[in-house]
Amino acid sequence: MRGRPLLHTSYGSDMALFNTMSKKVAVGLLILVALALPFGLEDKWLSLLATCCVAAIGAIGLGLVTGYAGQVSLGHAFFFGIGAYTSAYISGDPDGRTLGLGQTNMLLWLPAAGLVALLFGVLVAPLATRLRGLYLAIVTLALVFIGQHVFGEWDALTGGTGVGRAPAKLELFGYDLAATDSIGTKDQKVFWVMALLLMVFALAARNIARSKVGRAFNAIRDRDIAAGVIGVNLARYKTVAFAISSFYAGCAGALLYTIVGFIEPGSFSLLLSVQYIAMVLIGGAGTISGAIAGAFFITLLPTITRELQPLVPFVSTEASKVPNIFQVETILYGLLIIGFLIFEPRGLFGLWIRIRAYWKSWPFSY
Amino acid sequence: MRKFLAIALVAAVSLAACRGGETATDDAGVKTDVGVTKEPCPEAIDKNKGCIYLGIISDLTEGPFKALAVPITDSQKAFWKRVNQQGGIGNYEVDVTKNIKDNKYNPQVHKEVFDQIKSNILALAQTLGSPTTAAILADLKSNNIVAAPASWTSAWAFEDVIIESGANYCIESMNALDYANDTYKPKSVLAIHYAGDYGDDAAAGAKIAAAKLGMTFSHVKTDSGGDKQAGAITEVVTKNPDLVILTVGPAETGAIIGQAAARGFKGRFIGTSPTFNPALLQSAAAPAIVALYEQSAPWNNWSTNSKGHQAMREALPGVTPSEGYTSGWVWSYPLRAALKKAVDNKDLTRAGLLAAVKSLDSVDYEGMLPTNAGNYKAGVAGQIKMTAIYKPDPKAPTGGVQVKDLYVGPTASSYTLDGPCFSKL
Amino acid sequence: MVDLIEAVVRGLGKGSVYALLALGFVIIFKATRVISFAQPAFMLAGVVMVSYFVGPLGFWGALVAAMVLTGLLALGVERTAVRPMIGRPAFVVAIITLGVDVAVRVVVVAFIGLNVRQVGDPWGLKTHDLGVITVYERDVASFAVTAVLVAALFAYFRYTRMGLAMRAASYDQEAALAQGVSVGSVFALSWAMAGGLAAVAGTFAAAGESVDGLMWLIALTALPVIILGGLDSLAGAVIGGLIVGVLQEIVANYQSAMPWLGGNVSIITPYVVMLLVLLVRPYGLFGTREVERV
Repeated sequence: MRGRPLLHTSYGSDMALFNTMSKKVAVGLLILVALALPFGLEDKWLSLLATCCVAAIGAIGLGLVTGYAGQVSLGHAFFFGIGAYTSAYISGDPDGRTLGLGQTNMLLWLPAAGLVALLFGVLVAPLATRLRGLYLAIVTLALVFIGQHVFGEWDALTGGTGVGRAPAKLELFGYDLAATDSIGTKDQKVFWVMALLLMVFALAARNIARSKVGRAFNAIRDRDIAAGVIGVNLARYKTVAFAISSFYAGCAGALLYTIVGFIEPGSFSLLLSVQYIAMVLIGGAGTISGAIAGAFFITLLPTITRELQPLVPFVSTEASKVPNIFQVETILYGLLIIGFLIFEPRGLFGLWIRIRAYWKSWPFSY
Repeated sequence: MRKFLAIALVAAVSLAACRGGETATDDAGVKTDVGVTKEPCPEAIDKNKGCIYLGIISDLTEGPFKALAVPITDSQKAFWKRVNQQGGIGNYEVDVTKNIKDNKYNPQVHKEVFDQIKSNILALAQTLGSPTTAAILADLKSNNIVAAPASWTSAWAFEDVIIESGANYCIESMNALDYANDTYKPKSVLAIHYAGDYGDDAAAGAKIAAAKLGMTFSHVKTDSGGDKQAGAITEVVTKNPDLVILTVGPAETGAIIGQAAARGFKGRFIGTSPTFNPALLQSAAAPAIVALYEQSAPWNNWSTNSKGHQAMREALPGVTPSEGYTSGWVWSYPLRAALKKAVDNKDLTRAGLLAAVKSLDSVDYEGMLPTNAGNYKAGVAGQIKMTAIYKPDPKAPTGGVQVKDLYVGPTASSYTLDGPCFSKL
Repeated sequence: MVDLIEAVVRGLGKGSVYALLALGFVIIFKATRVISFAQPAFMLAGVVMVSYFVGPLGFWGALVAAMVLTGLLALGVERTAVRPMIGRPAFVVAIITLGVDVAVRVVVVAFIGLNVRQVGDPWGLKTHDLGVITVYERDVASFAVTAVLVAALFAYFRYTRMGLAMRAASYDQEAALAQGVSVGSVFALSWAMAGGLAAVAGTFAAAGESVDGLMWLIALTALPVIILGGLDSLAGAVIGGLIVGVLQEIVANYQSAMPWLGGNVSIITPYVVMLLVLLVRPYGLFGTREVERV
C-alpha cells in the first residue's frame, strides 16, 4: 500500500527478499555502484575490492553455519584449501611441476571446487553432529591441522610447504577474464566478475535463510534439543549447514587465489579460520549483510592501517624498530575483535541498526 | 529524469579522469618509465637529482630467516646511502627505504606485497627466499623487472631478470662434499633440507657429488620450527651417516645438532650460510655445534680485509656484526653496475635496465668476490663456483673463523649446469 | 626396545609440558565455562620473562618470578577483557581470548627481538645413562616438576577453603554465590593459576632449546589434549597430556618407516588421536556428559 510500506497484504510480499521500497532502492544503487566503480578507481583498489567480494562469499558461508545454525566451525580454512586445490588441479598445466588437468573453463572448476568441498563437509558432518559447542570448535580445528599436514606433504598436488603452486585461471570458454583488453583492464574485469558472483551467492544465501532450511537453522541455534523435540531433524539440518558452508568456502577458496596469484599450503591455517570467524562476528552473526560488511572491513583493515601510518609518526615502517607498522596491524586486528565483541555484540550490522533506529524516530530518538 | 541522467554522466566522466595511468617521460636524454622520478628522493643528499626507487621484499617479522634478513636490509640501505653520498648514479639518487615490505617467508604473502609495490619501483634491490621469489618470477619476467635475490638457488642461473651473486646451493654442496672428502673422507652422506628451491637445491648438489665421490646418499625433508625436528633427529641417529648436509634455518640447526649429539651422534655437519646464527653459540647446543659443525659460504665473512668489506664496516658503525650485513652489501654491487650502465646507455626504463644487466660481463665487487664474478653476459657458463668454509668460534665477531678460502672443488668445476638442480633430487 | 623406552621417556617429558598447559585450560574452563585461547600468549610471555630474569635471579628464581608475573598478567586480562563478557555465549568469549592472544603475542615477540633467547636452564641437553637407556635430564626434570605441581594443585583443591570454593563454583555458580563464595575472585584466581602454569610449561618447553616467536604453536597442541581428557576434568588433562606426548614421540621415532604418511606426521598425531577418541567417547576420556535443560 502506498505510504504504508510495512503493511503486507499477502504472504508472498511479507516473505519477499526485498519487501520494502528502501531495500529495493538500496540494492539497485549497490548494483549501479558496483558497475560504475571500475571506471573511477585505480587498479590496485579494484583488486583489493575484488578480494573483499570473494572474502564476503566465504564469510557468508561461515555465517550460515555459525551465525544462522549456531554450529561453531573453526575449520573453514580447510574447505578453502580443498576448493583452491581442486580448482587449481582442474585448470592446472598438465606439464607443470604439479598435477593438473588443463581444463581452464571457469564453469568447470568453480562448481567442482564447491562440490568437492561440499563432499568433504558432508564427510565431516557426522562427527560434527555428535558434538556441540566448544568440543565442535576444537574438532573442526583438528580438521585445519590435518588438512595443513596433507596439503603440505602432498607435493605433487600442492608443491609442498614453502613452495606452493599456481592457482586456477579465470577463463570462460576460452575467453580470458583476467587479461587486459578492449573491455577493460585486468583488475576491472576481475572486479566485475567477483562482484557479480558475490551478488549471486548472497542472493542464494538470503533465499536459504528465509526458507524452511533457514528456519530450521535458527531453531537449532537457539535450542537444538527443543528443535529436535518439535520435529526438526537435527542430524539432517546440521549436515545441510556444513554442506552449504563448505560449498561456499570451496568456491571462495577457488576464486580468492585467482586474484592472489599463488597458493602456498601454509595459508590454510588457524589464522585464516580465525579471520573469517572475526568477519562473521564483527560484521554481525546471523545476518547476510553483516557477514558481507565484516568481510569488507577485515579485508580492508591492513590497507587502512597502512594509509593511516603517516598520521601516527611514532609508529615506524621499519621492522627492527618498536612499535612498527607490522605490529600495529596485528595488534589492531586483535583489539578490534575484542572491542567489537565487548561493546557492540551485534557487530557492524548492529551499529547500522542503531543508526537507522536513531534516524527513523528523529527528532524523537532517545 | 533527464537532469538525473546528465548529472550521472558528468560524474562518470569526471570519475574516469581520476584513474591514473602510466606515462613514459624523457629527461635530459635518459628514457625512463616506472619507478624513476624527476623529483628528489625523500632523504636526498643532493636535492637537484631525480630519484630511482628500488623495492625490498624481505623476511622482517616472522619467518625463519629474520635474524639474517633484518641486517641484510639495513646493510643495503647503508650501501645505497653510500652510493648517494658518492654522487648517485648519473643524475639520480637511489631510494630503497620507501618500498620495503615483509614477506614472512611465505610465497603468497611475497606475491601480495610485490603487487603492492610493483607500480612504484624500477627494480627490486632485494627479494628474499628461493620459493618466495619463484612465486613472483613470472610477473618479474613479463614486466621486465630486474631483481637481486637474497637466495642462491641454481634456478637463477637460467633467468635473465635475476641478478644473483655468489655460488648457488647446488655448487656449494658439491664444494662442501669435496672439502669433506679431502679432510675426513666420509662414506655416507645424509641431507636434511627444507622443501623447495632452497633445500632441495643443496640436497641435489650433495646427491650429485656423493655419486661422483662414491658415497652413499640419503635425504630427509623437514619443516621449519625447532620443535618439529624429531623426525630428522631420529633419522640422523638411526642412519648414523658420516656427514650431514644441513639446509635449514638456525633454529632447526640448533635442535638437530644439539639433540643428535646428546643421543650419541659423532658425525660431522656442514651447513649452508642461512643455517647459522651466532646466537646459537649461546644456546645449549653450543658445545655440539663447535665440535661438529662447519659452514659453507659463498664469500668471505665480515672480518675480512678487502676494500668492500672495509667500506661496509665503515658504513655500519656500532652494529652487532652479522653475516647478514655482508650478504646484503655484496648483493647490491651488480645492481649498482647495471644501473650505471643503463644510465650510460641513456635508457633507464625497465627494459633498458634488463638489457644493461644482460650486457654486463664483470662487476666490481670491490674485492669481496673475484673479478670474474658477475658475468651475466655469459649466462650459465659465467656462474661463479667458489665456496669458502668456516667453523664456529664463539670469540669471532660473527661467530665463525675461516678454515678454507674461496675455492672450486673438482666436482663443481667439472659439472655443467643444464637445469635447476632441485629438479634432480 | 631400547628405542621405544627412550621414546617413552622423551614423551613423558614433552607430555608434562602439554599437561601443564592443559591444566591451565581446564582450570579456566571449570571455573568460567570458557576456553581461553590466550594460553599460548601467556606461555610465551612467561618464557620470555624467564629469559630476561635468569641473569640476575638464576633459573629457579626467574621461574618463580615469571610464574607470579604471568599470573598477574592473566589476572589483568581477565579483569579487562573477560569480566565484562559474563553471561555471553561461551564461543564469543573464546574469540575474545583469541583477540587477546594475538595482541599479547605481538608485544611479547617484540621483546624477543631478532635473535633467539635462552632460558638458562641447568639441564640443557645433558643426558644420563640408566643402564642401556639414555634419558635427557630435562625430561626427567620436567616430569618431576610437573608431578610436584599437580600434586600441589590437587592438595590445594582438596584441603584449602579457596580450593573448596573453586570446586563449588565449578559445579554450580549460583548455588556457590548463595553460599557466600565470591565467584568473581574464583574467576580471577583461576586465570592467574592458568597463567602461572603456562609460564612453567613454556620454560620447560624451551629447556635445551631456544625461545623464538614460533613457540606458541606448542600450546595449540594442548587443545586436543583437553578434548581427549575431557574439558572439565583435571585428571583428564594430566593423563591426556602424558598420553599425547608419549604417542607423539613414538610416532616420531617410527615415522620414517612409513614415508607415505608424509614427513613429520608426529605433529598431527594429537589431532588424530583426539578424533579417534571422540568417535567413541564424545565427551573425552574423563569428561562429564553435558546435561542441558530445555
